[in-house]
Amino acid sequence: MPANTVRLRIKRQAGPQAPPVWEEFEIPYRPHMNVIVALRDIAENPVTRDGRPTSTIAYEANCLEEVCGACAMVINGRARQACTALVDRLEQPISLEPLHRFPMIRDLQVDRSKLFNDLRRVKAWVPIDGTYALGSGPRQSPQDQEQAYPLSRCISCGNCLEVCPQYNTRTDYVGAAVINQVRLFNLHPTGKMHRAARLDALTGPGGIQECGYAENCVKACPKDIPLTDSIAAVNRQMVGHLWGKALGR
Amino acid sequence: MSTTATTPVPSGTFARHSYFWRRLHSLTGIVPLGAFLVEHFASNGAVLSRTPVESYGNTVKFLNSLPYVLVLEILLIWAPLAFHGIYGLWIAREATPNNRRYGWLGNWGYLFQRITGAIVLVFIVWHVWTARFAGVSLPDHPFLSYSKMAAQMLNPWILAWFLVGITLVSYHFSYGLYLFAAKWGITVSPGARRNWGWICLIIGLGFTYAGIASALAFRGIHIYPMR
Repeated sequence: MPANTVRLRIKRQAGPQAPPVWEEFEIPYRPHMNVIVALRDIAENPVTRDGRPTSTIAYEANCLEEVCGACAMVINGRARQACTALVDRLEQPISLEPLHRFPMIRDLQVDRSKLFNDLRRVKAWVPIDGTYALGSGPRQSPQDQEQAYPLSRCISCGNCLEVCPQYNTRTDYVGAAVINQVRLFNLHPTGKMHRAARLDALTGPGGIQECGYAENCVKACPKDIPLTDSIAAVNRQMVGHLWGKALGR
Repeated sequence: MSTTATTPVPSGTFARHSYFWRRLHSLTGIVPLGAFLVEHFASNGAVLSRTPVESYGNTVKFLNSLPYVLVLEILLIWAPLAFHGIYGLWIAREATPNNRRYGWLGNWGYLFQRITGAIVLVFIVWHVWTARFAGVSLPDHPFLSYSKMAAQMLNPWILAWFLVGITLVSYHFSYGLYLFAAKWGITVSPGARRNWGWICLIIGLGFTYAGIASALAFRGIHIYPMR
């Protein structure tokens, strides 16, 4: 293989029901290129390595700086963001697969709606809507800020869900990202006001009890969020919350 | 995000109240099952005596002399065992392991907990059947306990099966202790989990050693000094 080209193997699927096929590509190397650049170059000239014209590859990408979460895929067997997957550091041929745990749309594009629906289910926000101005909220202590910041870095990419052996249609589990958001917003001085509702939502079907504590999530998180700490911390909140509900606070 | 996919929410009693059942499953593994395991391994230590027939027989006699012994057996052993075992299989059925792709330690622990659980369930059902129900009734003849067990252990295949069962139940229990602490929000920090993990490892090795010492003592092999 000449050093000035990049080889990729891409798992393609024309639609949710279509059978998966692997296609191989060889494209010119560019210094410091990442997987998204490679995919863009293939899109400019969608011809396989053996010279056969093919359809353009569907994939999602947006910010290109690991903030939006859109370009999560399985690269060389590992779930990660394509934008920070630098070709120089990857073994070739680089294999690209879509995330397995989400419904397939086409090629590398999957439907991550479940993640966003689950964030809605647990009210992962600070309630500020009202009929009049509520004024400024209570202050957050520096200690709480320090704890909240790492939790707030979540980009909803879904890597933690992809690697989770409990995240599937049998359990309907919400997954580490969503539980981490519950911890984050329960820590917020105004967000605290929805604490009980969030914890109740997490005891429903697919709630925090479905966690099998394989601890894969924290290993796969591109933003180094202490996800297993968050699950344990919310478990602790849950024990107190349910104790209070059963026997009085 | 083109579609608003509506994922089917699992229904049925177990799914709707799964928080309760999952936490009950976690709790029964520690109390009463784990507590019984401590008692069981300690009682079996009677075989380490220089007069094992009497010591072992006296232990069985004492346990069977406890008031309400049948109620205790049903409420503290058989019912939680049946629930923990059967619901555990149900939980294992929901798993979609990915160890070949992600060979992290915790991921192997997750898989082994399910595999050992299934094997241990088979072992315990067999053990309860052969020791408690089949053959001579030990509650009626406590001093035949030693010879009944020794007869089993004389068969090398059965001895090997015991060693496997003892090792796996020790593993399953000690890793269960580790998981329990995380699932009940006791070990929140990574340092706490790491330290607790070491303690659980020591507990697991201790159980394995004690169990194997008792099993081998039936063959006259003493890896622990006789009392």
